[in-house]
Amino acid sequence: MTPNAASASSGPSRRSFLASTAVATAAVAGGMPLLAACGGSDSGSKDGTTAGKNAKKLLPAYVASNVVTPDIPSKNGSAMGFTAKLDLAGLKTSVPKKLGKGGSVKIMSPFWGTPPKGDNAYYKAMNDLIGVDIAWQNQDGNTYDEKLGAVLASSDVPDVVVIPSWNMGGKIPSAIISKFADLGPYLSGDAIKKYPNLAAIPSGAWQYSIFGGKLRGLPQPAPSVVGIVPFYRKDVFDKEGYELPTSPDEFLSLAKEISRPKDKVWACDDMKWSAFNFFGVLSGSEKPLGWNLVDGKMIYRVETEEYLEALEWTRKLYAAGVVHPDAKAVQGTAGDRFTAGQVLMYNDNISSWWGKMAEQAGQNSDFRISGMDIFGADGGDPTLWAGSPAGIFAFVNKKASKAVVEDILAAANVTAAPYGTKEYMLTNYGVEGTHYTVKDGVPTKNDKGNQEVINAYVMLASPAPTIAHPDFPDIAKEQVEWQQRMGAFTKKSTFWGLQITEPARYTNLSNDFEQLEDDTVRGRKKISDVQQAVSDWKKQGGDKLRDWYQKLHDDNGSAQ
Amino acid sequence: MTAVIDKAALDEAAREPRWWQAPPRPVWEDEPSKAGVAGKGIVLAGACLAVLFPLWIVIVTSLSSKKTITEAGGLVLIPKDITFIAYQELLSGGQVTRAAIVSVCVTLAGTLFSMAVSVLAAYGLSRSGSLGHRWLLMTLLATMFFGAGLIPTYLLVQSLGLTDTYLALILPSAVSVFNILVLRAFFMGISPELVDSARIDGAGDWRILWQIIIPLSRAVIAVITLFYAVGYWSAWFNASIYLSDQSMMPLQNVMIQLVQKQEAPVGVSQAIKTGQISALAIQMAVMVMALLPVAVISPFVQKHFKKGMLTGAVKG
Amino acid sequence: MSNSTVPRSRAEAATTEADPRAEAPAGGRPEAKRSGRLSLRLRFRRDRTLILMTLPAVLLVLVFNYVPILGNVVAFQEYDPYVSENGFVAMLESPWVGIEQFERIFADSAFWDAVQNTLVLFSLQLVLFFPIPIVLALLINSVIRPRIRAVSQAILYLPHFFSWVLVITVFQQIFGGAGIIAQTLRRHGYEGFDLMTDPGIFKFLVTAEGVWKDAGWGVIVFLAALASVSPDLYEAAAMDGAGRWRRMWHVTLPALRPVIALLLVLRVGDALTVGFEQILLQRDAVGPGAAEVLDTYVWWNGVRNQDFSYAAAAGLIKGLVSVALVLAANKVAHFMGEQGVYKK
Repeated sequence: MTPNAASASSGPSRRSFLASTAVATAAVAGGMPLLAACGGSDSGSKDGTTAGKNAKKLLPAYVASNVVTPDIPSKNGSAMGFTAKLDLAGLKTSVPKKLGKGGSVKIMSPFWGTPPKGDNAYYKAMNDLIGVDIAWQNQDGNTYDEKLGAVLASSDVPDVVVIPSWNMGGKIPSAIISKFADLGPYLSGDAIKKYPNLAAIPSGAWQYSIFGGKLRGLPQPAPSVVGIVPFYRKDVFDKEGYELPTSPDEFLSLAKEISRPKDKVWACDDMKWSAFNFFGVLSGSEKPLGWNLVDGKMIYRVETEEYLEALEWTRKLYAAGVVHPDAKAVQGTAGDRFTAGQVLMYNDNISSWWGKMAEQAGQNSDFRISGMDIFGADGGDPTLWAGSPAGIFAFVNKKASKAVVEDILAAANVTAAPYGTKEYMLTNYGVEGTHYTVKDGVPTKNDKGNQEVINAYVMLASPAPTIAHPDFPDIAKEQVEWQQRMGAFTKKSTFWGLQITEPARYTNLSNDFEQLEDDTVRGRKKISDVQQAVSDWKKQGGDKLRDWYQKLHDDNGSAQ
Repeated sequence: MTAVIDKAALDEAAREPRWWQAPPRPVWEDEPSKAGVAGKGIVLAGACLAVLFPLWIVIVTSLSSKKTITEAGGLVLIPKDITFIAYQELLSGGQVTRAAIVSVCVTLAGTLFSMAVSVLAAYGLSRSGSLGHRWLLMTLLATMFFGAGLIPTYLLVQSLGLTDTYLALILPSAVSVFNILVLRAFFMGISPELVDSARIDGAGDWRILWQIIIPLSRAVIAVITLFYAVGYWSAWFNASIYLSDQSMMPLQNVMIQLVQKQEAPVGVSQAIKTGQISALAIQMAVMVMALLPVAVISPFVQKHFKKGMLTGAVKG
Repeated sequence: MSNSTVPRSRAEAATTEADPRAEAPAGGRPEAKRSGRLSLRLRFRRDRTLILMTLPAVLLVLVFNYVPILGNVVAFQEYDPYVSENGFVAMLESPWVGIEQFERIFADSAFWDAVQNTLVLFSLQLVLFFPIPIVLALLINSVIRPRIRAVSQAILYLPHFFSWVLVITVFQQIFGGAGIIAQTLRRHGYEGFDLMTDPGIFKFLVTAEGVWKDAGWGVIVFLAALASVSPDLYEAAAMDGAGRWRRMWHVTLPALRPVIALLLVLRVGDALTVGFEQILLQRDAVGPGAAEVLDTYVWWNGVRNQDFSYAAAAGLIKGLVSVALVLAANKVAHFMGEQGVYKK
């Protein structure tokens, strides 16, 4: 009716919620976006991957950072943890010499929230420190897919474009290969030593930044441990004397005990993603991770027994009426139902561990969130599958001049500074006094900080996965320890760590399974429908895709 | 009848009746039945309640603290504590004010432009049988059914140099064929004799449009103006695609971003005012503020709906 | 001109006597029916002002609609906008695949399910939604007290300004499995219920949401039509002894008929559009089996996957069907003696 009625919608809220969680994680804790399940890497004229010797040639040298020592070092693929109070005076300097040459650079990046004005104090301070005049084009994260697709199709691509892996659906991988620069000449081998903070980014993340045979991305590294935690309300569990379940069966019977719909309490929200972990299903976060070589045969996650078992178990939860009705309707926010006490267990990105605590600290001092250890299908040790070593990448326009590329790398070298450095504090908190104040070793942002220091510079490149919550050091410790315990059970599937571009004709082949899963666990479809879909999938190209992956494996081997 | 009585009667007629009073009934109209009045009242009141009840929830939630909202587990039905913090958050920072000015300007300019183009086109097409009439109509009509993908549209707007200008928010969506068709239908309903007689008097099409058609179509013009204005006011997608400079964003985009800000960056910005404002309260406050323009324009539109109001236009 | 009798405006009533209904003199205004006899040059001279007036709209549409619509040629390609310098050049370079995309669509059973859902939902909306604004308009129009009219009108507009996200949230909180009604029932020892995840009633739910949000807004076009009905006509009818209902039948409804016919024809032409955002937001609650409509199908299978060629092909199919429907509906309107969108 109205002139703009045809405008596209905001899209499903679930997606935007997940995307924002993911960016929150990636920026602060490092982590794997849950949402990547919809994306995956695919398509493009140059399908395949780069591994082995070919990759080694491209990889930058790794030089561990010795500027700051973490309180809990990384182990089993966990993030490193910092639990000490923040000592402003003791902050180290990781970028002694300004590397920027004073050029100007335009960066397009997704943004959740209201972007500040371009000439604010935070951007100025950052640009001063870097020595480059960076102009941000902060785009609405929820319509980033559309904007990205359009901008990349035009001949006017900004100097830098930040692309999260969940925005790499469809033909974006082909665009990455055709529109963005090869950073190899600047970074491969010893060249990276000019940028010590970039050199301290783990090699796995760099290898994962090889697109179309060239090193193109500046990564935000992520821990390889699964990012989705089954959370529970520790305060309520302690009060009611509920015991933590140690097997799927125990979970189900505990859930029945907890649920009291009359009092608006249900045991849990949708637990599908945790179920996949309980039952050891291959990762669904990115398509290549779902393939694994078992006894000489390449199999995909949906073909496994574990996949069906996980769905069947989740279906039982729904059928038993222990899942919140709003979760069944996929409305509202699981995290809000959790803090409201309407559900006592839910799964979410590990960043919510601290996020929920910080959020509730002011209003519900009893509130206590904790993550339960993932158990195996039979109650024993679980089998977990590693997530990708990086989730968000910054790409440089291939038309950028050498001077511009070097300015961009200078900027990335600052934003990738490790925790405990002046550069990290400026990037993540802004200017002391202007954007945040420190009391008892805990930095707190003020209004200006909240307005200006939000996700801009953190999107460029970040240090090795780090967990540091000066306000809740205990939570930081719990998070890292959980990651380390789970890391011990974590295996790497065949193609872990390889940036793989699937052939275009198979790009969307497996996309419908997520919907089918949701239908099945809610009782609208049967397990036999899933089996039927798997056999259709094989006929429609699944078997051909298997051959493709088999050959890819024969030709390239694994990442490690 | 003396002149005095006449004047008193006129005064009586001219006085606006109070809202509970019915205006004087025309002599020919029979007394409505009690049951009829009651029935109408019930239906109307029921419809209004169906709107007002959710509206109440929305307003109460927008005025609730995060604690109340958490306890309610969502929307709040009964107010517990009233806080304006969500509105303060919305209006702080000056972004909303600036964005509101942008929105008002775009809406005014866009509506004016769209109305000019649409009224002209609707009149231009209102005489069936005129040369090319059918082809021109079909040209417009087809666009109602065939859409274009985002990429070609974006590339077009970009190659015209409209990206990062406000024209990108107006020109691509300036013409609503639906609105033109409605205007045209009303124009065609105007007595042809009236138009013909004006023509005999030597009036050209411009004068007929200006002096006969438009005055006689005030109601529909008010409605279509409203359609366009609401369209421009609530549009956000074009801005999110065609504008890169955040300081140019219109109100809707800023509002959407404000909602997201509360929901999203738990990690990113180290807990924005954590624990104070609920994302839901912000969202509801945005809703309430979105209703404000309606309250402003509603009386303006109503004015044109009075029965028989079109008489004066002709005589004058 | 229009062979319908309406709107019988006060203007017509006021001028009928004065108008001698003079025969158009030579060189004056010829009747439309006779226009065919005139030479093209004469017709152009006669109508050039009208054409001129139409030009701005036509130009805007040509530039901002038709040029991008040409981009739909990618429906016959395997289009990758990123293979070249920009998306336009890429159109020239992408491989042509003929009608392969169309075959893919027609071979997909999910597409036909979506079409079926769309048509069912459209029928429901036509029967349960379309008449409501008309009834409401008549109701409001019959209220004499001006303040009540104004206030109830203003209230009924409001939901139009709520976003779909909010409307669905409100419905969920009232009718959902943990909603106000279900929880009240449970507290009193009854079974709860969940209207929001029941595939069986989903289409009614969507229609109800639509009515709640937009029925009040739909009223205003009809009110505009009613505003142009002359009170003199009511008076004349009353003098002839017509009662309340007969006056509505013989005076009010005829005034609305052309507008109703126009909107109905356009609605039928748009039958394949039954709400996008609203349904997308609730699709996961009942699953695609019940909720997938054509637009969401295209979004999931074309737009979201950046399968531009597939989306363009689906768009073309939809456009062609719409044109056929609008032509048919217009025929029916003519048959019923209405003008419809355009004249025969």
